[in-house]
Amino acid sequence: MHELVEFAVEKALELGADYAEARFEEKNGTSLAMKNGSPEGLEILADRGIGVRVLLGGGMGFASTNVLTRESVGEAVKKAVKLAKSASRVRNEPIRFSEEDFHEVYYEVKMRKDFRDVSPEEKLELLRKIEEEVKGTGVNVPMRYLGYSDQVWHKIMVNSDGAFIESIIPRVSTMYNLVVFENGQMEQAPFVERAFSGGLELIEKDEPWEWAVKDVKALKRLITEGKKPPEGKVDLVISPEVAGIAVHESVGHPYESDRIFGREAAQAGESFVKPEMLGERIGSEVVTVIDDPTLPNSWGFYLYDDEGVKARPRYLIRNGIITEFLTNREYAYKLGQRSNAAARAINYNREPIVRMANTYLAPGDYSFEELIEDVKLGVYMVSFNEWNIDDRRYQQRYIGTEAYLIENGEIKHPVRRPILEITTRALWSSVDAVGKEVEFYPGTCGKGEPGQGVPVWMGGAHARLRDIPLRRP
Amino acid sequence: MRKMFELNDFILRNAKELGFGDVVVLAYESNRRQVRFANNEITVAKNWHERKVELFVELEKRIAGTTITELSEENIERTLKTLLSNMKGMAPKEDYYGIAEGPFEYRDIPETFDKAIVELDEPNEYVERAINSALEEGAKRVAGVLYTDHNRVYLTTSNGVEAFDEGAGIEISVRAFIGDLESGHGTNSVRVLKKFDPESAGRKAGEIASLAKNPEQGPEGKFDVVFDPLAFANLLSYMSFMTSAYAAEAGFSPFVNKLGQKVANEIVTIKDVGNLPNGYGSRKFDDEGVPTRETTIIENGTFKSFLLNTSLARKYKTETTANAGLIMPHAWNVVLEPGNYSKEELFGEVERGIYVTNVWYTRFQNYVTGDFSTIPRDGIFLIEDCELKPIRNIRVSDNLLGILSRITALTKESCHVHWWEVETPVTTPYVLVKDVGITRATK
Repeated sequence: MHELVEFAVEKALELGADYAEARFEEKNGTSLAMKNGSPEGLEILADRGIGVRVLLGGGMGFASTNVLTRESVGEAVKKAVKLAKSASRVRNEPIRFSEEDFHEVYYEVKMRKDFRDVSPEEKLELLRKIEEEVKGTGVNVPMRYLGYSDQVWHKIMVNSDGAFIESIIPRVSTMYNLVVFENGQMEQAPFVERAFSGGLELIEKDEPWEWAVKDVKALKRLITEGKKPPEGKVDLVISPEVAGIAVHESVGHPYESDRIFGREAAQAGESFVKPEMLGERIGSEVVTVIDDPTLPNSWGFYLYDDEGVKARPRYLIRNGIITEFLTNREYAYKLGQRSNAAARAINYNREPIVRMANTYLAPGDYSFEELIEDVKLGVYMVSFNEWNIDDRRYQQRYIGTEAYLIENGEIKHPVRRPILEITTRALWSSVDAVGKEVEFYPGTCGKGEPGQGVPVWMGGAHARLRDIPLRRP
Repeated sequence: MRKMFELNDFILRNAKELGFGDVVVLAYESNRRQVRFANNEITVAKNWHERKVELFVELEKRIAGTTITELSEENIERTLKTLLSNMKGMAPKEDYYGIAEGPFEYRDIPETFDKAIVELDEPNEYVERAINSALEEGAKRVAGVLYTDHNRVYLTTSNGVEAFDEGAGIEISVRAFIGDLESGHGTNSVRVLKKFDPESAGRKAGEIASLAKNPEQGPEGKFDVVFDPLAFANLLSYMSFMTSAYAAEAGFSPFVNKLGQKVANEIVTIKDVGNLPNGYGSRKFDDEGVPTRETTIIENGTFKSFLLNTSLARKYKTETTANAGLIMPHAWNVVLEPGNYSKEELFGEVERGIYVTNVWYTRFQNYVTGDFSTIPRDGIFLIEDCELKPIRNIRVSDNLLGILSRITALTKESCHVHWWEVETPVTTPYVLVKDVGITRATK
């Protein structure tokens, strides 16, 4: 396969491309689902192909094929070159890439328990375990939808600037949707995922059934003991899960340089952040937000991005100051910087675009008890279901699912659906303390057209927000 | 064409020899082009060529699926053997009830294939026309995407189906900006080239952006809301997933236990039309070969049917609605039947309300109750004294069934919408909904 990938790059240069990059991707895996106790069947994934991206005269062309012959790949190269040439005629200024150091590298994430050696029936046992443990709680859960998925991603990426990166990354995950029905009321834990890069041992150690049990018990308690959240300005302590979605939506996304420059304007939108805002304060001193693709076994793991640039942690906010955007080579050039390796493509048939990996609120120095102890009246938001944000990433909302009243420094009864509806600046400026411990939660980040759902982790430490006018449902 | 059917036959024959029961072989050949643009220039142009076979097999009520892209005889045989060995130890799906009995007769669907789209050499001219239309309306920056599609589908099943369909399409989505906060959006999706009107999409985007100049912070409370077809299509596209019987069983639908019950105002009739002429989602047959048709989901406000495949239909002792998905039935083209208002009359019904031209990021707090919110984007207008006043930064926070039951007027005019935020194509009029919950940031 190496030869075919190199052939694509050479052929593109022969045809006049100024820059060429070819990426072979192969994905193999299995997925299983169980609905209300009944297995839904097995899906075997076996997908592979080559994508070619070129620059010519300042225009960009991309073509892919899953017919892996020299003839078909050659055709794809021709199309990419032709598309780049015609696109170059409808440009105000040529696309240029930043200068980078490139390497020839092979890397692999090892599995201690290789899921390829485990039968589908054994994998189904993991879902049965969730099913049984949930039933064992005695909580009425009439709708249960469970999923398991594993995939090995094999990539070979070559470009005309000297990059040759081959990687093998296994990914394994479970998902559940549980609907609790008690006292004539319904509450839901939808699309709850546990996910890692690595082998089956990571799921077994994580014990998704324990998460499910915790969820259904909390939902039942919410139904039976839940009260209205307090009105008016209160303090709000958000869990790592809620901090995770907040950093993802209101820090990670608006700091994507392609959005800042308008490339995603017709789809995911633009950004309230402008290039000249680097160095500007956006949050309090205690807020530091990092996006780090290199976290071992993380769901968003990679060591080199899909443009062949070496990955490193990116400090998006340091002590409340905007310090760095997420960049690929095109927008790093526009900013006069080096790329920080945020270019990711979800498959061979997608172009690499600017993405997050594992975004988190960096830890502070408060214990959980210290965060709570001087809250007179507040809410502790543990999990959320509904959330959204405008397409400039400035007005967001998170509705708590599992949430509790805090009164005089103590956590009391559950509260129903406290709503945090707030601007990005107000959110990060309201944080006065951050916890010591960091946790991560997986998600699939959506962006790009056609859509490219990429695996990411979101998380961080607990955070305390002061004087928040919470909304009631 | 024969070559692909011979390949299908080879797969079917081998599968049967290995002892599989139901077998469905669905082969695709597709060519898709994309031109993306932003800031009035092309950001990337793309081409995809794909050939693949989706395979569904059943073995004593155990079911499995896979996609084969490497179509050598050796790989096909290996894939089938892998499926067999994996399935042998598995527990059966007790509620599996088989696939449709063929053969069937198929009718051509008007306006779903046009050679002129396939032969179109370079679509950049359409992009430039759309950009220019938006600029002429006053836009400063124009972004969007154009696609051309050419697909061939070959279906062979172990129950006597052999079916072929060929489709083409061209579509454009245009978003026009004046400043950071003033934008508008227009789309146009068609299956025959002579109906393609990229200027209309550009013009609408530019017009709305121009109307939306200098928006002020919007209010909160309950308002009568006029949803533009672009905005309401988003809600109906989400809703269509919830009308799949599979989604209902899995806990993702507010329509559970609602068959025969009132779920919407009586002026609301919603259908899925698989054989809609010029519909972007139209196809002659579903994934098990049943000829696609019109299915009434909600009739005059009453919930009439979930979307079904044969197995789910047999489980619930009814007929398939030709919406396979062998695992999950899905809609083809959702159609909200038009009403009898002109656009002017519909807006005239609103004393003080809000006109929402587009929404995105629709998310549910609870799929079973239908509580959700969605974010208006592009032009948003306060309707007051028969005037449109631009506003910004509001959120629609309501309940899906509540919205359906508070629909009070529909226009005669409808639009067929398909774009990045509306995955299932939707045909919908302008919709007036009473007392819609509107919220905004509190800090």
